Amino acid sequence: MKKNLQWKVILTVAIIAGAIILAYPFNDTKVRRGLDLKGGIHLVLQVLTDDSINMETDLEVSRLEDLLKKNTITFQKVTKEGLGRIAVQGTLADEEGKTRDLFGQYSRDWDYGFTGDRANLTLKPLTAQLLRDQSVDQALQTIDNRINSYGVTEPLIQKQGKDKIVVELPGVDDPERVKELIKVTAVLEWKLVKAGPAADEATLLQATNGQLPDDAEILRGDPNRGQGGVYLVNKVAVVTGKDLRTIRRTQDEWNNPAVSFTLNSEGGARFEQVTGDNIGKQIAIILDKKVQSAPGIEARIDRTQGGVIQGRFTAEEADDLVVILKAGALPAGIRYLEERTIGPALGADSVRQGLIAGLVAVLAVMTFMVIFYKLSGLNAVIALLLNVLLLFGALAYFKATLTLPGIAGIILAIGMAVDANVLIFERIKEEAALGKGVMSSISQGFSRAFTAIFDSNLTTIISAIFLFQFGTGPIRGYAVTLTISLVANLFTAVFVSHLLFDLTVKKTAKKLSI
Amino acid sequence: MQLFKTPNIKFLKYKYIALAVTGVIVLAGILNITVFKGLKLGVDFGEGTLLRVMLTTSSDEGQVRDLLGSAGLGKSQVQSSGKTGREFQIRAMQTVSTKASEEDQLEAHEALADKIIAAIRGDDGKDELARGLIDLNVIDEAGLSRLFESAFPGSGPDAAHRVIAYRNEAGIIANFKDLDGLGLKPEALAFLKDKAFLGKMTILSRETVGPQVGADLRRKAVQATIWSLIGMLIYIALRFKLEFGVAAIFTLAQDVLITMSVYSFTNREINLPIIAGILTIVGFSTNDTIVIFDRVRENQKTMRGKPLEEVMNISLNQCLARTIITSGTVFATVLSLFLFGGEVINDFAFLMLIGTIEGVYSTIYLSCPVVLFWQKWFKPKNARRR
Repeated sequence: MKKNLQWKVILTVAIIAGAIILAYPFNDTKVRRGLDLKGGIHLVLQVLTDDSINMETDLEVSRLEDLLKKNTITFQKVTKEGLGRIAVQGTLADEEGKTRDLFGQYSRDWDYGFTGDRANLTLKPLTAQLLRDQSVDQALQTIDNRINSYGVTEPLIQKQGKDKIVVELPGVDDPERVKELIKVTAVLEWKLVKAGPAADEATLLQATNGQLPDDAEILRGDPNRGQGGVYLVNKVAVVTGKDLRTIRRTQDEWNNPAVSFTLNSEGGARFEQVTGDNIGKQIAIILDKKVQSAPGIEARIDRTQGGVIQGRFTAEEADDLVVILKAGALPAGIRYLEERTIGPALGADSVRQGLIAGLVAVLAVMTFMVIFYKLSGLNAVIALLLNVLLLFGALAYFKATLTLPGIAGIILAIGMAVDANVLIFERIKEEAALGKGVMSSISQGFSRAFTAIFDSNLTTIISAIFLFQFGTGPIRGYAVTLTISLVANLFTAVFVSHLLFDLTVKKTAKKLSI
Repeated sequence: MQLFKTPNIKFLKYKYIALAVTGVIVLAGILNITVFKGLKLGVDFGEGTLLRVMLTTSSDEGQVRDLLGSAGLGKSQVQSSGKTGREFQIRAMQTVSTKASEEDQLEAHEALADKIIAAIRGDDGKDELARGLIDLNVIDEAGLSRLFESAFPGSGPDAAHRVIAYRNEAGIIANFKDLDGLGLKPEALAFLKDKAFLGKMTILSRETVGPQVGADLRRKAVQATIWSLIGMLIYIALRFKLEFGVAAIFTLAQDVLITMSVYSFTNREINLPIIAGILTIVGFSTNDTIVIFDRVRENQKTMRGKPLEEVMNISLNQCLARTIITSGTVFATVLSLFLFGGEVINDFAFLMLIGTIEGVYSTIYLSCPVVLFWQKWFKPKNARRR
């Protein structure tokens, strides 16, 4: 063997071995199939980032009230004027300087201006953007936690664009349950009940002459939990979901599914004190502003004891509630923009039929190449098989997903791989027809055909890269398989194929099997 | 083996006729898309809901349409798919006020999908469900496993897996007899017949797209296409000459326009796999164009003094054997996908069938003429010197 062939052989063998190691054992764990081939749920949802700005504005309103009171600045009221806009009314002109200083010191995220006796504050655009981004990231994290505890194998949860999240769950086919699981904001609160349950608000407020007390709010019962009517509850929560230490599914005294919880030390202490002070009253357990149940307090609940949430749950609902509470609350609401459920049957069918048709076609092409180009055709067949092997190795390495459009990409690449071989062989024939020797025809054939192969492959790769950069899911799947196959093609059809000729054709050969 | 001796066909002699023919097809296509039929956008690009269902007995589009019509869902489009006459695609859109929020519109489409399912199912299975039987064509693996487990502790998961795997493979369980070969114990089979019934329908897939996403996907697809065209133009202009790049883009435009026209005439639906198909056609066509351009570039160096048109003719002839072999093999591949590839891939294969032929044609009768005309109009001196 010639010296310069030696390292070529070593390189080729190393690359083949690498691809085999990456792709072995050629099953689902190595190359993921997309939902269109496997079945599952695909959801696109949007995070309502306005919610986070709203929350920040509310927070700032109460902070400003405290701040102004603490510094004894006279004002009428602080009002929320809109998303990220606050007005302080009744600011005295002679205290403007002092107020300015306060704002400058404590409300750095807000721009402010004074008109007459009003101070207007607006949230700085940069801060607003930061808050929005944060809420999307947090939502992504929370959804990720929820899905993972729900127990889906290989879920895909990804940010798309500025405020969208894509969730792909292979093998799951109960979209309603998953959608609910993802969507609930999951703000859990325990609040003391002032009055209720009552049939309507009027009855509820009879005791207070139809006036809603400042420190109270009216909440509805959750019909899913068998809670009708309305409740008047304290605005301030005794404990919230943030105070939970452990939470798990259990059964209540009637063997119905329920959820038990314990509280952390701070929450437990508060719970102990409040239950001790309010024996005989009701405490409402509220999820997302809906009363789940409102048990009566029979005795002081010890800080380490915890409690049970009841509410006519089914086993699944109780499980989901545990998952949701463990994963934490969503920082902002979400809404669904797109949902697709592909049954496993559709996937199985298309895979099987497509695969058979594809295999038949590839076999036919290979047979043709061997018949038409004889031993040289065998060369092309080896290059083609190698190309597919490298593709699977690379797909496994990049953890890419194989989809139907991805298969389209492979078909194009295989077509171009065949074309590369045809180009080379036809060129070798042309050179031979000009009366050149076997070895010189081969090397001339390869080098002349190379520019065409290189340019056409590279042009396609360039367009595929742009498609990947700017395209959406399925188009990207197409771009990925295409790019990988074409890069592999430049290696197999040109480099390996040439090497095979060098290794198999004797220098003294008079005629080439082509 | 040799296909034939290098021929000497004057391809470019017929360029005006070819251009006229192309022009007529493209014009008719554009008219059809813009004025008459329009393009049928799939649920990937338009909003709405798309259901694929499978029935236990064969039916036809008319019967399904009647079922929907009697439930007031007459506007739904019903399409039979597959060869068994048991699979159907149903597309529908629920128009709610445009002022309704995005999510309300999505929910409306979802509710519509539920209504369609209920309408097709009709009264089927109502008695059985009332008697507490379960629908074997609806229950999931976990549920079935629990059912088996209640009677045969320890063997539930395995038995359920066998049944569901069979259902996934077949699409639907049409008859209890179908379960005989699955290796279930006779008593398990008897138990299943006692506790379960076979509902008339399974839902193969269910897709709902809200208005914003539809628009978003359309915009992104257009954006991606434009950028990849610019990328190609720059590369080809650098490696060849500007006019070759421009010609390649023209060719591409023709490829897309002609396939779209065919789609519009045959009333097939444009969805994302079809976009992948169009990109594939464009890929093949570009490959073909560049192979020819490469040969022209090479021949221009050795054949100085010959007019460009002649050089192009020679190049086309030199590459003819390769063109026929390559597009022949691709055509055969796609034909096999078209005939045996199954429903999902059928549309894609159909597109590729047109595309492979069209791609070769567009190289000869658009790529080359554009370069010729460019040199004639913009570089008269250059052209004469060559």
